[in-house]
Amino acid sequence: MTRELAQRHLRRTVRKLGNPVVGRDSKGRLCLYFVSVSVGGWAGSAVNLVVSEDEGETWSPPRRLIASPFFNIGTLVKGAPLLFSGGAVGLPVYHELLGKFGELLRLDSAGGVVLKTRLSWGRSSLQPVIVPRSDREAVGFMRYAGVSPNRILIVRTADGGVHWSPPAKTALPNPNAAIGSALLADGPLLLVLNNAEENREDLSLAISEDFGNSWRIAYRFEGDSGSPQAPVPEYSYPWIMQDRAGDVHVLYTWGRSRIKHLRFNRAWLEGRR
Amino acid sequence: MSASDAFGLFGCGLASLAAAATVIRLRRLPVRARYAVMLAAALAVFVPIGELSIAAWVRGVTGDLSTATLVLAGAACFTQVTGRALIEPRDKRALCGLLALAAAFLYPFALGWTQFDPYALGFGSVEFITALLLITLAAWAARLNLIVLVVIVAGLAFLAGAYESRNLWDTLIDPLVSFYALAWLLAGVRRRPSNGLACPTASV
Repeated sequence: MTRELAQRHLRRTVRKLGNPVVGRDSKGRLCLYFVSVSVGGWAGSAVNLVVSEDEGETWSPPRRLIASPFFNIGTLVKGAPLLFSGGAVGLPVYHELLGKFGELLRLDSAGGVVLKTRLSWGRSSLQPVIVPRSDREAVGFMRYAGVSPNRILIVRTADGGVHWSPPAKTALPNPNAAIGSALLADGPLLLVLNNAEENREDLSLAISEDFGNSWRIAYRFEGDSGSPQAPVPEYSYPWIMQDRAGDVHVLYTWGRSRIKHLRFNRAWLEGRR
Repeated sequence: MSASDAFGLFGCGLASLAAAATVIRLRRLPVRARYAVMLAAALAVFVPIGELSIAAWVRGVTGDLSTATLVLAGAACFTQVTGRALIEPRDKRALCGLLALAAAFLYPFALGWTQFDPYALGFGSVEFITALLLITLAAWAARLNLIVLVVIVAGLAFLAGAYESRNLWDTLIDPLVSFYALAWLLAGVRRRPSNGLACPTASV
């Protein structure tokens, strides 16, 4: 996808693209969500979708998702999409125009927004990551952009995403930075975070054995005095996922210049539980 | 080109034409000149310059425009070309008042003020459709035909899939027409004499 291609197919001006997020829908198709900006900065973003039926060889023309009544701007994606039991796709998004808050969009099979639910409100939460445990139960984490103490926010649903608990601060710090989370098959809940309140110089792995109620820092990926530091010691925008073989992949921005990819298996993780 | 793309571009182009015709005060020109200028403006707005037309540039900024905007823009174009008003001030005052109220209800909450999100009601909630029906019936009973027209056109456009959005709010209202409605109402208040009997006289 290029800016020119998006502009041509969306039939409107497009200045820049960003925040790609990929997932699968209920038919197994690859769905790539990304934001485009027509005017101004990233707060002027709108979300778009392209679909591939051949594992990424070819892609459909982009279609615009409508998620806000205010010129449909200010909506961005960061967290992975999820599947509802009926086959609809749930897409965590956040708004950055005037307010900063998270929402969960529900998309039909054609990729149109048919419902949305608010995860938070106000001006201090963004970049939601949602991890389902069953058809009805899920937990969500959000970056915190409010006043101190700076902590990762948590929300929960027990009715399939119809209602969400008000955002609450966890014990985990958050320097106004994105987080990544994944629930391992028959295993614990993992969270990749900057384990500090003020900077992104530390990137760590936290484990929860009780689906987010309590946490333990299991490993530090970046920030040890012995490990090589990036010229700009900043490690951010983590993404974590488990592949079909059971291995866990962690990807993040390394020093604002590279994407770093780490891979570990269950045996490595068991040694740190 | 999909139906929603065509409709979206048409709406943005129409609003651009209405703005241009109003700004240059088209109706002060001789009748033939009005048609010629309008035709030239339509070509300039809809024919792509390079990859995009002016309508596509506007669409990039505003998104697809509501039927309230389209009806008011269409009426403004008609008035500027023919010199005849299509909309009675009473009708327009009622529509602008309703749009201003709807905007005050919709936008602060939709932009994250509270947990309540009225925009979510537009995804086919029974409460929203019932309220819309009651408002339309009340407008019809009060002979406020412009409101009835806007709601009917919005409903038909929604059912025909003319909008990218699946949310009824987006067919009824947009920020552009909200600002316009508020400005028009405030201008009416400023124009009103101190005895308070006169109504805004500007019409399209």
